[in-house]
Amino acid sequence: MRQRSIRKLRKLSIVGECAGFLSALLLFLPAIAHAAGGKPATKVYNVADTRAMSSGISKLIADLYNGNSVIFGLVVVGVMAGLGLILGYAMDLLIKRVGIDLSRLEHHE
Amino acid sequence: MDFFTIYLPIAGIEFNVLLLLLIGATVGVCGGFFGIGGAWIVTPALNIFGFPMPYAIGTDLAHMGGKSIVSTIRHGKFGNVDVRLAVSMILGTTVGMELGARLVMYLERIGLAESVIRKIYILFLLLIGSYVLFDYISHVRYQRTMSASGRDAKPKRHTLAQRLQRVNIPPMINFKASGIQCSLWLPVLVGFTTGVVASVLGVGGGFIRMPALIYLIGCPTLVAVGTDLFEVMITGAYGAFTYGVKGRVDLLAAIWMLFGAAIGAQLGTIAVKYVRGYSIRLLFAVTIFIACASVLLKQLKLQLPSAILIITAGIVISSVIILLLVRGVLRERAARSGSGVSLGRGSSG
Repeated sequence: MRQRSIRKLRKLSIVGECAGFLSALLLFLPAIAHAAGGKPATKVYNVADTRAMSSGISKLIADLYNGNSVIFGLVVVGVMAGLGLILGYAMDLLIKRVGIDLSRLEHHE
Repeated sequence: MDFFTIYLPIAGIEFNVLLLLLIGATVGVCGGFFGIGGAWIVTPALNIFGFPMPYAIGTDLAHMGGKSIVSTIRHGKFGNVDVRLAVSMILGTTVGMELGARLVMYLERIGLAESVIRKIYILFLLLIGSYVLFDYISHVRYQRTMSASGRDAKPKRHTLAQRLQRVNIPPMINFKASGIQCSLWLPVLVGFTTGVVASVLGVGGGFIRMPALIYLIGCPTLVAVGTDLFEVMITGAYGAFTYGVKGRVDLLAAIWMLFGAAIGAQLGTIAVKYVRGYSIRLLFAVTIFIACASVLLKQLKLQLPSAILIITAGIVISSVIILLLVRGVLRERAARSGSGVSLGRGSSG
């Protein structure tokens, strides 16, 4: 009986110690973290300032940028590829109109 | 000039549209002519005029993707793009770039990244530039000797590329557009090596890949230019996405630059039609030496002179390319009208 009660007491004291340690941790952790200081966190993602914009392409781009980063990344690729294709074909037509022969290329090293 | 100034909401600065068009056009001409991305011109140019460096890199990569499409379409129509070869190289390049990135992280950990990489870059540019220039000079001498002796100038035998092409490790592939047959492992290995080097040096890789395609794989100069542009297009698209997700692309600036670059790229690409392969190599060597000088100035902490040198050189080189184009077009027209006259005489006679 006596041994059992001693074991119970030991268990209780271990649980009490753990609880005390956890509550101390909860109490002092913010203070410790704050005291650790170090460099201020750098900005991971910037925000475009749209306050002065009412409408137009700049506002559209800025809103897109502030919205979702993955969608913005996809839009960048899509716009660049699409515009590249359109401009490529438009320039082709323009150059042909100027009278440059684009049909053949003789290779000379 | 205020009329041309626009507010770029993402970079958070005001910028002149004409300047964006000029930068785009300059790099477009050089890119279309040499088959390079042109980050070495755009990044310092944007940075010197007020773009924060991460935005300068991201915006450059974004416009590079679009610009390379313009040049690749034109080179493709000329038959200068070997898609099979480009895809084989991309396989190696991707793995190489990943390995290179890990090597850079290791160098960063031991605190050697900045100084070591810049020194290796200078050495590398010097070596490539010197080799291309040496090749040009020996080619000219060879041609002169042959014409003096009255014989036809046959191509030199047993170049390094020809020796590498003979290495028989299956599968052997026929690269039609390049007119070569070699083991698939050759372009994969060359792509891997250039990928490692490009990743370690933090450059797009055009400066390294273009000569590698000529001297290690044995591509004709124009096919090397076109095939390299195909690769630049892929890396540019990937760079645009990854920098876009990280919020470091000013889309408005990239669009304006792309307008200038589309015109420049088309002119630069058409100019190759009127220039011999070895003349492209000579101009390429000069360009490499200028890029090397600018990196050297950066190493000496002379940021401003370095950027000025790059911008001036870019404008001068693209002007030379446009002059070559104009001269070529005029000659072509004169030849066409000459043949038309002779045809007319023939029919009347």
